Amino acid sequence: MAAAGATTAHRTYSFKVVLLGEGCVGKTSLVLRYCENKFNDKHITTLQASFLTKKLNITGKRVNLAIWDTAGQERFHALGPIYYRDSNGAILVYDITDEDSFQKVKNWVKELRKMLGNEICLCIVGNKIDLEKERHVSVEEAEAYAESVGAKHYHTSAKLNKGIEEMFLDLCKRMMETAQVEERSKGNGTSHASTGRRGVQIIDDEPQAATAAGGCCSSG
Amino acid sequence: MSQRSERRGIHVDQSELLCKKGCGYYGNAAWQGLCSKCWREEYQRARQKQIQEDWELAEKLQREEDAAYASSHGSQPQPSLTPFSKFEEKKTNEKTRKVTTVKKFFSPSSRSTTKKEKERNEERERERERERGEKVQGRRESHGEMLLRDLKGIFTHSWEIGSPTEESHEAKSHSPSFVRQSSVETDQVAREFVDFLKSLKPGREIHKQSRAFVESMGNKKDLGADELSECVQDFYQHMSDRLLTHFKGSSEKVERVMDQVEKYIMTRLYKSVFCPETTDDEKKDLTTQHRIRALHWVTIQMLCVPVDEEIPEAADSVVKAITDVIEMDSKRVPRDKLACITSCSKHIFNAIKVTKKEPASADDFLPTLIYIVLKANPPRLQSNIQYITRFCNPSRLMSGEDGYYFTNLCCAVAFIEKLDAHSLNLSVEDFERHMCGGGDGGGSGDVSPRRRSESSSPWPLELLSALQERQQQVLEEARDLQDELQLWQEGVAREVQNILDKYPLEIKRHAAHTIDSENEENDRLPPPLQPQVFAG
Repeated sequence: MAAAGATTAHRTYSFKVVLLGEGCVGKTSLVLRYCENKFNDKHITTLQASFLTKKLNITGKRVNLAIWDTAGQERFHALGPIYYRDSNGAILVYDITDEDSFQKVKNWVKELRKMLGNEICLCIVGNKIDLEKERHVSVEEAEAYAESVGAKHYHTSAKLNKGIEEMFLDLCKRMMETAQVEERSKGNGTSHASTGRRGVQIIDDEPQAATAAGGCCSSG
Repeated sequence: MSQRSERRGIHVDQSELLCKKGCGYYGNAAWQGLCSKCWREEYQRARQKQIQEDWELAEKLQREEDAAYASSHGSQPQPSLTPFSKFEEKKTNEKTRKVTTVKKFFSPSSRSTTKKEKERNEERERERERERGEKVQGRRESHGEMLLRDLKGIFTHSWEIGSPTEESHEAKSHSPSFVRQSSVETDQVAREFVDFLKSLKPGREIHKQSRAFVESMGNKKDLGADELSECVQDFYQHMSDRLLTHFKGSSEKVERVMDQVEKYIMTRLYKSVFCPETTDDEKKDLTTQHRIRALHWVTIQMLCVPVDEEIPEAADSVVKAITDVIEMDSKRVPRDKLACITSCSKHIFNAIKVTKKEPASADDFLPTLIYIVLKANPPRLQSNIQYITRFCNPSRLMSGEDGYYFTNLCCAVAFIEKLDAHSLNLSVEDFERHMCGGGDGGGSGDVSPRRRSESSSPWPLELLSALQERQQQVLEEARDLQDELQLWQEGVAREVQNILDKYPLEIKRHAAHTIDSENEENDRLPPPLQPQVFAG
């Protein structure tokens, strides 16, 4: 949708990717590792890790990736739609040692599919595989779930720098495919970019359980 | 010495130098022969009269226009969506606007330049003071550290602290200086736009199209906000497509041109499309403003904001962020408004970085932004957000960094609107109690600490008592200062009196002397010439 709108002549794709996931699953570490190749580093130059960009070149085509971090606290859950509207991809992160965070991912998937349909490419990411010993979410369960909702599943570790590069690259390729399909189906596909922009409302469709408010980040 | 030079100077009759009103002070030619005091009075009176006349004239014009409108559109009903009260409000705004423009035409040209300049400066000064006052208020609410530093501010603006700020916002947004500046601003933007386009090959075409578009928009004033937005967005789309395909511009270059196009057309359209009458933006503004004011008790701890305002640099960044988000309202171009939000966000990131020593994630950023919005209570927040959504270049809004921060601001506002006990980790009773007690801003200062201690929320009581002590101290010191000033004044008066007592006669003697009495050579001079009449 919005991606194809930018430039059809030069084949530069601009993609917006949102990062969703509970507070302490390591969203920030993941993007910092990807964009700066640093982990828990004192020398991180960027002032913030909430909006990062990356330029890629995939099979001769330029891709501009804008990665939008979202606030993961439960109380900001209802704001999700404002963040993920018009995004081409979503990365849903959970912590393999935390069963709850996987449940959150399931909620997100349900919501995203409901609001955005199949236009959005979903990645479900089990982070912190360096803590394999403490795993609480089984590999089979996670992968089966991902397949059932048309998402891809990845295992990553920001600490060991495992699986991150591959995950982003894969996501980009899929987003390019989606954009190309859309382009073809719409002829030129440019003029409709602005129509989906408006009228997104926040809907509290499901009354959330008030119990999970604390999490591991409540002290922060 | 002094006497001799006096004699040599040009002799002007004493009476001509005095104020024409005869108050005994010296007058000045620049003030039409009046003294400063009389001139000010005279000028004020003339100005009052002028304003009065202009009002009457404007009202007459308005009545005529209304009558004409009623006769031509008699059958057409008013849009039922807009409540009557709001319509009234709009109308008064409209009226004031008209008054100022009418005034502009009727003021005598000889005055118009210098005096207008002066007026404008005064207006600006007043605005700045008002803002300063607000800022002082904000800081005082946020933490008492600044209290001592702002001693001066508190003394000069104490009356403002107690008073509601909404009126001042209203006044500010429709102040005459604002309207008057606009024409200068649009001219300047138009000139800059032309200058910018000179370097481009398709510049002439771009200019022609943009101008034609602005003119065509002038005829579409009756359209709803969404239709207007659609028109502008279509124009952006059309223009950038054309630049890309017909003129083979690179995407960066096209973006640069589009920025200028946006600046040009939105500066010109701003007045007619910002917070248009067809929407209820204004009502939403007021609702949000009241909501934020009612939430004045929300603390940094309740929101889990990772900023420690005890650190001077962090506190400084917070103040800067507040200033930036308030400043957004003063910009006309959507992109400039976005730039204010971005700058505000950067300051927030800095505050977080100083506190946490690591780059801020969205988990840190959003609560802090919410806190800043609550502290700042930016004027016309909803109108500004709507305006940016409707008229900003979409490519910037959807994927760029500015777009990200803008989205976060939207989130912050949405959060504030829906905020409840659960989102602050409070019990429902506590929340209700805070909201009920939150009505008056003045009295809550000494009530809330007690209430908070009752509800055993983690509010630092020591900090509060320390603050109270400090405030007491400040007040005492202020009183001392006042006493000292009084003493000093009395001392000076006494001294002056002493000196006056010491040398009263001499002054009299000098005054009594005539110039000639000292001059002994006078006798030897020939008698003064007498005018003689010659017959024929």
